[in-house]
Amino acid sequence: MRQETNNEMDLLLRRLGRQDTAAPDDHLDADELNSYAENALPPAARVRYTEHLAECARCRDLVVQLSSSAGVLVAQETAKVSEPSWLSKFLASLFSPMVLRYAVPALGLVIVAAIGVVVLRNEGTVNYAPVAERREEAQPAQGRVAVTQPSSSPEETRPGFTDTAKSVNKSAAPDNTGAATGAAAPPPPNAAPIVSITTEVQDAAKKVEQQRADTKEAPAPKPTPTTEDLKKADADERKQPAENAVVVANEPAAEKAKSQETKAATDAAAASPASARSRDDTSLSALGGVATRRARREDAGEKDQDEAVIRTVAGRRFRKQGNVWIDTDHSSSRVVTSVARGSEQYRALVADEPSIKQIADALDGEIIVVWKGRAYRIR
Amino acid sequence: MESGNHQTLLNEGAARLLARASDSRSLARESLVPRITAAVEKYLLRHDPNTPQAEISKFIDEMQADDLCLIIACERGDENAWNDLVERFTATVRSAARSASSNEDAAEDLAQSIWAELYGLRTKKDGMPASKLAYYSGRGSLAGWLRAVVAQLAVDVFRKQSRLVQTEEDADLDRLARDANIGEGQPALAGIATPEESMSNRFAQNDMQQALNRAVQELAAEDRLLVKLYYFDNLRLREVGAVLGVHEATASRRLTRIQTDLRKRVAKILIDERGWTQAETEKSFAEVAQHLDTDLEGLLTKERV
Repeated sequence: MRQETNNEMDLLLRRLGRQDTAAPDDHLDADELNSYAENALPPAARVRYTEHLAECARCRDLVVQLSSSAGVLVAQETAKVSEPSWLSKFLASLFSPMVLRYAVPALGLVIVAAIGVVVLRNEGTVNYAPVAERREEAQPAQGRVAVTQPSSSPEETRPGFTDTAKSVNKSAAPDNTGAATGAAAPPPPNAAPIVSITTEVQDAAKKVEQQRADTKEAPAPKPTPTTEDLKKADADERKQPAENAVVVANEPAAEKAKSQETKAATDAAAASPASARSRDDTSLSALGGVATRRARREDAGEKDQDEAVIRTVAGRRFRKQGNVWIDTDHSSSRVVTSVARGSEQYRALVADEPSIKQIADALDGEIIVVWKGRAYRIR
Repeated sequence: MESGNHQTLLNEGAARLLARASDSRSLARESLVPRITAAVEKYLLRHDPNTPQAEISKFIDEMQADDLCLIIACERGDENAWNDLVERFTATVRSAARSASSNEDAAEDLAQSIWAELYGLRTKKDGMPASKLAYYSGRGSLAGWLRAVVAQLAVDVFRKQSRLVQTEEDADLDRLARDANIGEGQPALAGIATPEESMSNRFAQNDMQQALNRAVQELAAEDRLLVKLYYFDNLRLREVGAVLGVHEATASRRLTRIQTDLRKRVAKILIDERGWTQAETEKSFAEVAQHLDTDLEGLLTKERV
């Protein structure tokens, strides 16, 4: 019944709306229109201008345009209601029976697993040097450069990665720390892997080098600066059989890596003692820097994790909560204006505030940014 | 409020505003006071001469400090400020001009006109350029004000054209309505109504329409604005809510309440002033609505053909 009566009134009002109405002669100025559209008027002034707008189609039209351009489509009332409700919904969902029954135990398991992984990783890092030394003790006569590369991507663990050219090329990449051994040139400093070498290795390499020098079979020493020597070395590298090729221990399995390291080191020492010597210099200095680099990597890892959570764009700091980047200055009591990417409101907003576009481009997904005292939710 | 107190309040407010600005553009407090005084007069004292001091202070503290300093610096001939203004708001003016124009050329012309108006090509009696910048109060954002200036200028430029288009549309509607009646040979409900009934319906319609008109005029300003925005300007509830500063759900609830209030008010006018009975009022509501419904359907059907 009520719906019916409203429908009747609806039709009557539509009819009334089609009739021409006299417009007042005076109009609101640009400042008044804008202040009204931005809801920036004191109450008494607002009431007065509302009176005018109710009668003046021209000013109404302008206020409508300005309201939509200013992106004031979400009213204060909603924002005030929605923000606490979001919080209360979140809290309610956090302590719901389903969450308590399933998610909390699952979360506990995840935490335990994470702690386990961290502990294991730490143990692996701490015990690395002693393990290398033990290996060397087991094979004291063999010059060996243990090269270990943590496998960070499937590409790095694919078979056939021991090809010399590939290794050299790969070593140029910052994340590929598999430095070349054997006849390969000394690895670039930024690509140095965790290298472990003992003095016995150096001695063994020197002995072999001397033998080779005596028999004049030694290839051109790598570190010599002449280009002819370098070319010759490259040619030698290409001719070397597979057993003399660079071996990069990139398999995650420890045993496999160990056997490959041993083989590579043996072959390298035997085939290219001169380069081994040159490498030794690098390796010795690298040995001293292992702990430092490891610490740096750990720091970098932590920084990466921090950056994954908090980012700074256009002078604003954002914290990621779920899929939403939230301005660290945002508080739940603040009025939020929703703006959809690509909408007219969005275009108007970024035209006025280009930095917001910079933020929206830099951060994916939903963003809540506080800009000039206003909060915008960009979707 | 005493004049001395008033002046002190404004001076202090200007000092606070300068302190708040991230770039005060080397402006002295005295250069802000006249602008702040004008804004306080316009938005507070004109509507309530006895506005409390606390409210005046709050009003000043809510003004856009950076935007106001920028504009005043521009007015005072600060080249850097003018360059900043152009750099920061070229995109805003262009975007507003595009929204208000039918094509890119017209938008460009409009944007150029705005910059000329802002720069002030004419000069005042005191030799200073007569710039539109003088009308920015600092109450709303500068970007919003520029949009409003662009929109107003666009309305002035295109008013004649818009009026012609509107007249044409109205004429089409009238013609369609006339054709509908001629096509039927008789008015929409005449096929089922006797001449007496038809005349009675017409009187009832007139009475009802007049009563409704009056009832709408008697609504509170905000309710009346809502009705105008929704029924006269054909906005969606979301847009109506944006203008009124409320959510569309609230606008919808208000509209329902207004419809109910209007119905009661119209019925009261008809019963008290026209001598209708309650039953006649209810019956007329239904009949008039049905008639209007038929009218609209007829118009729409003809329009599609």
